[in-house]
Amino acid sequence: MRRAIQGIPAARGVALGRARVRMPLMLEVERETIQPDEVEAEVERVHDAIEFVRAEMHELRQRLHGALAHEIGEFLDLHALMLDDPELLQGLDTLIRTKGYTADYALRKQRDRVAHVFLSMDDPYLRSRIDDIDQVIGRLHAALHRRDADLQGVAGDILVTDAVAPAEIAQLQAQGVLAVVTTTGSLLSHTAILARSLHLPLIVGATQALTKINDGDVLIVDALEGLVICEPDQTDLTAHRKRVDAFKRERKQLNRLRREPTRTRDGVDIKLWANAESREDIAEAHGLGAAGVGLYRTEFLFLGTHEIPDEEKQFNAYRDAVLGMTGRTVTIRTLDLGADKSDDTGLALRDEPNPALGLRGIRLSMSREKLFEIQLRAIARASAYGPVRVLLPMITSREEVLYAARLFDRVRKSLAEEGVAVAEHIPLGAMIEIPAAAIALPTFVSKIDFLSVGTNDLVQYLLAADRNNEALGDLYTPLHPAFIRMLSDIVRTARKAGKPVAICGEIAADEAFTPLLLGLGIEELSMHPGSFLQIRKAVREIDHAQLVQSSRALARAKDRASIMRWLESRTA
Amino acid sequence: MIEKDIQVINQLGLHARASAKLVQLVSGYRSEVMMAAKGRDINAKSIMGVLMLAAGVGTVVRVRVDGPDEVACMNAIEDLFNRYFDEGS
Repeated sequence: MRRAIQGIPAARGVALGRARVRMPLMLEVERETIQPDEVEAEVERVHDAIEFVRAEMHELRQRLHGALAHEIGEFLDLHALMLDDPELLQGLDTLIRTKGYTADYALRKQRDRVAHVFLSMDDPYLRSRIDDIDQVIGRLHAALHRRDADLQGVAGDILVTDAVAPAEIAQLQAQGVLAVVTTTGSLLSHTAILARSLHLPLIVGATQALTKINDGDVLIVDALEGLVICEPDQTDLTAHRKRVDAFKRERKQLNRLRREPTRTRDGVDIKLWANAESREDIAEAHGLGAAGVGLYRTEFLFLGTHEIPDEEKQFNAYRDAVLGMTGRTVTIRTLDLGADKSDDTGLALRDEPNPALGLRGIRLSMSREKLFEIQLRAIARASAYGPVRVLLPMITSREEVLYAARLFDRVRKSLAEEGVAVAEHIPLGAMIEIPAAAIALPTFVSKIDFLSVGTNDLVQYLLAADRNNEALGDLYTPLHPAFIRMLSDIVRTARKAGKPVAICGEIAADEAFTPLLLGLGIEELSMHPGSFLQIRKAVREIDHAQLVQSSRALARAKDRASIMRWLESRTA
Repeated sequence: MIEKDIQVINQLGLHARASAKLVQLVSGYRSEVMMAAKGRDINAKSIMGVLMLAAGVGTVVRVRVDGPDEVACMNAIEDLFNRYFDEGS
């Protein structure tokens, strides 16, 4: 029977396919039983997986040193003990032998049994230990499937689940998932941002999706309106085909802007920089006429690997990016691990009590000077192949800027002594994503060459509102008067000092915010190239002089409603 | 089989670190070690079991050791509890 479920459209697109339901906090398993003659092989599979995970953890333990070894080591010990837990192990064997369960299903049964006990505890500390158990079970489950890793049957399906991690979104897209529907999440989460840049249709906050959709149901996902239609009728299918056509037309029209400049109606040029991290991004940015790369993320070198990348590996990646842009500037952001971007090298502390306020960005780099030095060396070496800028994430103070500048000087000098070619001038910039940096900007603006405002974090820290927390809903918004005022102050300080300022972050790529940013005097935007044409289109519809005129009231706005009204009157 | 009541005296109780120490200790003995508190009976060689005890400071745990090295094992357990799991207090 036909059912319609409403959610929030987080990444535009339309899709038609079968639902692949993944239940929350449970393992995705086939509820099949096995034949008696397969039992021993299945038990062996479990033991192989346990051995594999044990070796994996041991390897991770070996690579840790210093304070990290202590901090992370304790959790690894706990996880290793869980792996050795007789209740868990024997329980699995017994379930497979007596009930004929598959290894996966036995694993899930055990998890649910334990989870039930832990989740019913009053003590929040003990309740949260279920996370440790889930991590271990998750690793075991992955180990069981390390030969047939690509989630069977996901290609061509629509994933319906509670939540998707940012790292998973890219994987899902690569596996050929048509669209994703989640019951939680917000428009401004990293997952949503990533889905948009990957053009993977995503609907978040479809609270009823898991209760109303069954595995295998036919779904129409309309991620333009935020609507999921389960078991559609003939009328729905006809409407869907029309929507697909309309979406294609919309794309085609945008494509005509590929070779056009990003210029307002009254002739003000806006610089569009690309956020990039792969060769594909670079090629796309180049093809779409990017001013350069405004944010080259380096975390990917550290994610999905167990080894900290050496100077050579980093240099090669940076050089390729520089060469790929053929003379246009590449802004390389130094390592920005932490919070929701945890790595596998054990570098970022996953178990910090408050990771968003923890050892991340420039702080992590400063605490591991050798590592920072290696990255700066690799960047400096790449500067011999084309224009490069260095961008420092998570800056809070003048001291941090001076520290990085000194270290970078030292690195360049020592490279020069070694006879390695390095560009004469490599601009150093600061990311403004912490309110302290925005407020203290006048104290260090003369020490840097350019600014990049990371609005996602700036809004989050300024408003003390986690953008991934859907319970906060409306609280996280760049339309808060405090944020508008802060942004306006940043632009004024930068302009007075003659330093360029770019906006990178969700709102730079969202055409709804383009008038707001341009009105505040921003002339550089950095975003995934996938959003270029949409933003170019928005810029070309703007009358800059008139906008700046009317935006004076904006910086003085008293509440969100008046900012929204202003914005709506611009976009209407 | 020997049985004894031991009180948890370290401030944090049997949280993750202390539980891990306890499990590591008793796993080195051949005897079977069971612990009971607050109506729950668990295998002390299971980290999940020990965590599930949720034994905070002041909890009295009934320890049952059964096996060839039960005396040494019980002494070691008692010693660990009385040393505040090496956490100072």
